[in-house]
Amino acid sequence: MPKTILIIEDDNFLQGLEATKLKKEGYNILTASNSVEAFKLMEGKDKIDLILLDLLLPDVDGFTILEKVRQNKIFQSIPVIVFSNLSEEKDVSRATKLGISEFMIKSNFTLDEISKKVKELIG
Amino acid sequence: MEPEKQIDIKTLQEENEKLLKRQSIKSDIVSISAHQIRTSLSAIKWILKMFTDGDLGKLTAEQENLMRRAYEDNDRAIGVVSELLQANKIEDVVEKKYSFAETDIIELIDSSVFDFSGEALAHKIEIIFLKPEMRLPTVKADKEKFRIVLQNLFENSIKYSNPYGKVFIALREKDSFIEVSIKDIGIGISEEGKKRIFEKFYRDVTAQKKEAVGSGIGLFTTKKIVEDHGGKIWFESNEGEGTTFFFTVPIYKGVK
Repeated sequence: MPKTILIIEDDNFLQGLEATKLKKEGYNILTASNSVEAFKLMEGKDKIDLILLDLLLPDVDGFTILEKVRQNKIFQSIPVIVFSNLSEEKDVSRATKLGISEFMIKSNFTLDEISKKVKELIG
Repeated sequence: MEPEKQIDIKTLQEENEKLLKRQSIKSDIVSISAHQIRTSLSAIKWILKMFTDGDLGKLTAEQENLMRRAYEDNDRAIGVVSELLQANKIEDVVEKKYSFAETDIIELIDSSVFDFSGEALAHKIEIIFLKPEMRLPTVKADKEKFRIVLQNLFENSIKYSNPYGKVFIALREKDSFIEVSIKDIGIGISEEGKKRIFEKFYRDVTAQKKEAVGSGIGLFTTKKIVEDHGGKIWFESNEGEGTTFFFTVPIYKGVK
């Protein structure tokens, strides 16, 4: 059974590119553009194996989502890759302290590299 | 105080506040725009890579060559925007008033080293913090601004090191100061650069060869912050061998 990845990204174009690439690699993809959609999907029927999380979102920011995920007994062990264009040390440090598997700056990586990282983490 | 002088000071304070507000708005505009540009450039980068990797069908040799050049140019643009964001952030912090406090410099260096561990790993550089065996006195510093000093020096030492190199950080007490040194084994500074390295917007030829993009404000700002703290900054460097930056920060004796 394919592993499921939840992409939380508010830019539809980027979200589409990320989803297309990861679908091609054989993953089941769920997409959310804000925290409400994200938590609805997390509580849905699909078991989520990894979250790809943007930090600048329209309702609450990615840090708040990450905090909630880590506080929730069911979701707390899901690996999270932060994939954002925020790149200041304070952002990296804050996300790292909340518990992430990787912090990747969008403009510094290609989709191939993201895909490789996902494979490393969940196979 | 004479009434005329009182009015003058009040006017100046009002003007200053207006300028600070304007500066803050300008900085926000730069930051928001730069983030948006970087997001668009990310999308272009990914699509160009899909073309060059053949994900979207086979390209002719000429098409592939052009796509590759577009990819490299786009990456340079990403570099420029990233530098712009960094310069904007530094300017923001430097514009703020100093707020000196008793500061544990080892703790501050430790946390900055932690912040750079990812970047060091990406550049295959090992950061070695040689902590002194004896407990050192605290220093008088503005933490937020001093973080910029450490960040600039760490970033340079990582960027301009040879791959698989090491960066050594050491500190010692000297008179009424703590002296910090950051040593890298890397490209070093040219003879011309040694005279001009702290000038605003100056970038040494050795640095330009290694990293095409850079704002040239890092060391200028670093020197300003160190001197505003009452310290000094200097370096020893040999081109092709490496550089050691030294700076001093006064030991805390209460905030005056």
